Amino acid sequence: MKQQALTFHYYILLFLLAGSFFSGCTEPFAPDLLPQAESILVVDATLTNESRNHEVLLSRSSQEQGKLQEEKNATVRILDDNQQTFTFIETEPGRYISNLPFKADTSRSYRLQIVTSNGKSYTSKAESLPQTSQIENVSAQKTVTDNGSEGVQITVDSFDPTGNSTYYRYEYEETYKIIAPKWVPDQLVVLSEESMAVGVVNRDPNKEERTCYATDNSISIILTKTSGAGEDRVSDFDVRFLNKDNFIISHRYSILVKQYVLAQQAYSFYEKLQDFSGSESLFSQSQPGFINGNIFVDDDSEERVVGIFEVSSVSEKRAFFNYAELFPDEDLPPFIDECRPTNFDIDGTPSVFEFVKSNRVSYTNNVTNPATGALEEYIVVPRICGDCTVLGSAMVPDFWEE
Amino acid sequence: MKSILSILGILFFVPFTTAQIEKPKISISYTNAQRHEVLLQLEQVADINFYYDRQWLGDELISGTYNNTHLSEILEDIFAATLINFFFLDVQTVILTQNLVIKDELHQSFYKDSIDAIHTNSMEIAKNPAFYLMEKVDSNSKIETVRIGKEQKSTRQEKYTLSGIVRNNLTGEPIQNLAIIQKGSSNGVSTDINGLYQIELSAGLNSIQTKAIGIETVEKRVIMYNDGRLDFRLNDNVEQLDEVVVESNRLKNVETVVTGVVELDVADIKNIPLVLGERDILKTALTLPGITNAGEGAAGYNVRGGGTDQNLILLDDAVIYNPSHFFGIFSALNPFTTGGVTIYKGSIPAEYGGRLSSVFDINTKDANTKKFSGEASLGPVTSNLTLEIPIVKEKSGVILGGRSTYSNWILNSLDEESLKNSKASFFDIVAKYNDRVNETSTIAATGYYSRDAFSITSDSIYSYSNRLFSLKWNRKLNDKNSMNTVLANSQYGFNIDFEGNSDKNFNLGYRINETEFKLKFLKLHKDNHTINYGLSSKLYVVNPGEVVPQGSASIVAPLEIQLEKGWESALFLSDNIKLNDKLSVDLGLRYSFFAALGKSSQKIYETGVPKNEGTLTEIKEFDNNEIIKTYGGLEVRASTRYFLTPSLSLKVGYNNTFQYIHTISSNTTVSPTDTWKLSDINIAPQRANQVSLGFFKNLGDNAYELSLESYYKKSNSILDYKVGAQLLLNESIETEVLQGEGKAYGVEFLLKKTEGRLNGWLGYTYSRTFTKLDSDFIEERINNGEYFPSNFDKPHDISLVTNYKFTERFSLSANFVYQTGRPVTFPVGSYFLDGSEYALYSDRNKFRIPDFYRLDISFNIEGNHKIKKFAHSFWNISVYNVLGRNNPYSVFFVTEDGSLKAFQSSIFAIPVPTITYNFKF
Repeated sequence: MKQQALTFHYYILLFLLAGSFFSGCTEPFAPDLLPQAESILVVDATLTNESRNHEVLLSRSSQEQGKLQEEKNATVRILDDNQQTFTFIETEPGRYISNLPFKADTSRSYRLQIVTSNGKSYTSKAESLPQTSQIENVSAQKTVTDNGSEGVQITVDSFDPTGNSTYYRYEYEETYKIIAPKWVPDQLVVLSEESMAVGVVNRDPNKEERTCYATDNSISIILTKTSGAGEDRVSDFDVRFLNKDNFIISHRYSILVKQYVLAQQAYSFYEKLQDFSGSESLFSQSQPGFINGNIFVDDDSEERVVGIFEVSSVSEKRAFFNYAELFPDEDLPPFIDECRPTNFDIDGTPSVFEFVKSNRVSYTNNVTNPATGALEEYIVVPRICGDCTVLGSAMVPDFWEE
Repeated sequence: MKSILSILGILFFVPFTTAQIEKPKISISYTNAQRHEVLLQLEQVADINFYYDRQWLGDELISGTYNNTHLSEILEDIFAATLINFFFLDVQTVILTQNLVIKDELHQSFYKDSIDAIHTNSMEIAKNPAFYLMEKVDSNSKIETVRIGKEQKSTRQEKYTLSGIVRNNLTGEPIQNLAIIQKGSSNGVSTDINGLYQIELSAGLNSIQTKAIGIETVEKRVIMYNDGRLDFRLNDNVEQLDEVVVESNRLKNVETVVTGVVELDVADIKNIPLVLGERDILKTALTLPGITNAGEGAAGYNVRGGGTDQNLILLDDAVIYNPSHFFGIFSALNPFTTGGVTIYKGSIPAEYGGRLSSVFDINTKDANTKKFSGEASLGPVTSNLTLEIPIVKEKSGVILGGRSTYSNWILNSLDEESLKNSKASFFDIVAKYNDRVNETSTIAATGYYSRDAFSITSDSIYSYSNRLFSLKWNRKLNDKNSMNTVLANSQYGFNIDFEGNSDKNFNLGYRINETEFKLKFLKLHKDNHTINYGLSSKLYVVNPGEVVPQGSASIVAPLEIQLEKGWESALFLSDNIKLNDKLSVDLGLRYSFFAALGKSSQKIYETGVPKNEGTLTEIKEFDNNEIIKTYGGLEVRASTRYFLTPSLSLKVGYNNTFQYIHTISSNTTVSPTDTWKLSDINIAPQRANQVSLGFFKNLGDNAYELSLESYYKKSNSILDYKVGAQLLLNESIETEVLQGEGKAYGVEFLLKKTEGRLNGWLGYTYSRTFTKLDSDFIEERINNGEYFPSNFDKPHDISLVTNYKFTERFSLSANFVYQTGRPVTFPVGSYFLDGSEYALYSDRNKFRIPDFYRLDISFNIEGNHKIKKFAHSFWNISVYNVLGRNNPYSVFFVTEDGSLKAFQSSIFAIPVPTITYNFKF
């Protein structure tokens, strides 16, 4: 969808070139939004066939953009059609976790029941577990996109011989190795607060600051379906594109792709959500509106609930690659920071002391008087360039393979 | 009044008078020759052709000798003692005409008699007969004198009433909206739908003249002795349309019985500012009250609060499904071949049906059957060429028009790699053949094709095309009856070609095809009835979509949604009755019938619950052409006109309509991938009722036309869709469809100035339109089941269209449009799901985008009018959106990198200048 908007800009440009001065434009704007009388309960609940402590996230819609408003002190449980109840407890605001690990069973159907702190009760429709389908392969390939960007495409293959899976949603968890580009074995430390003295010492050998690992979760809705295809096969499906300039693939990168097989209704819920949140073509606009999920208030009021109680089967697979394997003999992607060095006179003003004290710089080198050999200046860079813990954790993840 | 008429005369007769100047002087001598022999001799000597009927000339013998004399002088002498009039069509063509009724003796006695009879209208009589003679030379029709009524010595009135019927000489059909004007006064009337007129004239001598588009102008001297009757049989005009139009239909505004009719002629819009150089009759229609669209550049029209699928758009009687190019920025009608458009937005005549809101009846010009001519234009986006080719002189000809963009060529010639595969192109071609087969029959055939292709992403190509063909046969059965036969076929389709790198390559196609046969009879009954009756029958075949895998690697399964077939028929009868001088009614009845036909599998759902996979109870199979389901009903089309004063009329109308074919779209505006679906077991026809009331007034010697109309419309079973419905290639579309109610009302004000240096119109509309989608089930309910503003509800709409002529050659035009912003659905909040922020949408259409306004200016330069010049040129310099107003077209909300962002888009955000060059040859 985003692609579309972009291409229209090209047309507009073209018409300009053609001398016809056709001038469309798309620009950000700030709408005047009327305050909504009351906020709406938002439910994010997924129950899978994986035995674990399942999670239900409750929040409320907010008029203030970018602000998450958790729904606290609610009673949350999942009931199956065999009168079994799985209770959830709130471990942190808005986050409810099942008391015991459990998994969805193919022969059962499940309902989510929520009673909020104001006494309102909400129940989902009964949902049962869809077909299970295994990811066959996750691969990383060097690619050039249609609009000319070079990078790495992560694709998924999956096949369900029974042909019943059909609706797929993907999430991924990417972990990447960070090596601080300006790391040196020495560091600047505060020697004396009173005299505002700093000095260069060796780094603490027990404190790894050169190589770290960071993990991010996918935040977009990734969907595909095989209902139009001849067989229930997902092949070369694009889950993630990483531009060659993205610093996270500089060294070694790993991605864990999770494949959820969804019920048709859940798929259509996400599809609409994706449809309404994508970019629009310049000339026609799909009619947005409230997307009904499968959770409803128990009284007969008009109150609506956002979100869906998703019961899905999950399968996951991990892949690794090194930048050098895909782009041998090429420069690394630019680091997230320019790492411009700054020279501080050892006694001058501004003094490097404040920066060292607040841990905002990393030491890289110094300047000495060529005649006397006396220390004259410290050369520092932003801390992020010499200390990887700004971006990640020094702990090597359990699954990490070199 | 007189000055207007003389301007008219200049406009009208320019080609002839100039032609006379060019005429050579000749020498000729003849003795005791019959007139036709003399003419033959003249044809030889002067290299000219005469057109006449031998019988007119008689057997009298004449003599004469001329040396280096103007041909016209010679001809005047030849025809001095006859009723023959002549005029020069061009340098080589002389047409003779003859008075049909009057004998020589009456003619001779005329002046004496009329002097006796005159009381009041002495002004006319004071004029020297030479005045008439002069006019006779100018005019292409002769002035005939008619005595009306038996003079009664005992009772002498000041005024008498002259009435009668005006018919087309060839077809015998009544000519409506023909103006009959009393020369030298402001008195004038126009004919009604039956060709009937009635005019009050002073006792004694009066001079009256007829005026109408495409009809010859005839002037008659009428001596009124008493009330009486005078019928006219008029020929089609041999004039080019362009020059006549502005002055015509002077009283139509107040006279017409039918309410809510809008007529536009291409000549009217010649000077209107252009967008990217395209003259566009349908875009001009948007400046008239009651006709709007969703926004600048949007395809589709909303007439009096109706949806974009509720308009029957006809080109020469065949339906055009998508009359737009490039998403609606241009309309798909060739401006040079189009003659005009009549839009019925209130009372739709009974002969039309199948759409709820309006009929756009667009006609293509008849080809010039005399000489080869053409017109071409060069604009920044397209070029256009039209040719008119006579086939059998004076009898048949063909008009050909073609228009194309160069944008594709521009795209291909660019170096930019990512754009090389982009496409955006369109073209349209039209051809019409017209043939006067004999005195009683005419045949016309039209073919039309338009195509658009564009690629939004480099891996897919979208295209859509309209194709139509129509054949018309008009036949006069006798003086009172005529017959009109139409056979038409239209096809609309679109195609998506997807060719990415993956194994999902496919080709998706949609097509709708319809064939219609229509037979219409016209009967004149007594003086005051014009009866139209007939039947129409239409067969639809819809191929709702098929997916064809492309390439051997594609794993896309071929999918074909089953064909839909439907048969729509109607019987219609209407009678236009003139009850008295003031009151006329037009009563129409139409019985329409629709049958959904097999072969088909129809899904049957439980009643009273939402249709979905879970409530599906049965799939019924139907054989080929087996009737699946029928719908039908009586449609009433009634309107009446009452004259409150001679220049003020009141009109009332009632209208109900059925629609059996529906657009399937989940967009707020028209998109090229919208499909049409026929009613079936699960989708009922849409229905509407409209009442309208209007006051019509002409002011200032008919220079100003004023109208105030209001309407209230209620519709049922109008189609809408569930939120986020996926409609393309959906095998169970009925599960996504909601059928609800609509209501619309409005007041339309229009002030039009048709004459003078400054002309144009000012329109203001206040209108509202609402939709209601209610159900017992939450998923089928929108906005809690209450009425909400429709997507095209724009309460205030002001349009000002003006043109100021400095001289005949230079004019300046300006348009101004203001509209309330259309309703949109905004987020009223946001929420997080799976770590991303999404918009929580308001009730549907609770907000509006900012108001729309725009000013356009254009300057027009006509080339000079030298007759010898090869081509007549016309320059148009336009600036669209002079104020540079950034009118938002849409607003939308995007979740990017997990957070929510708002955008607005607009189409023409800066002033857009264009220069277009047109020339005629």
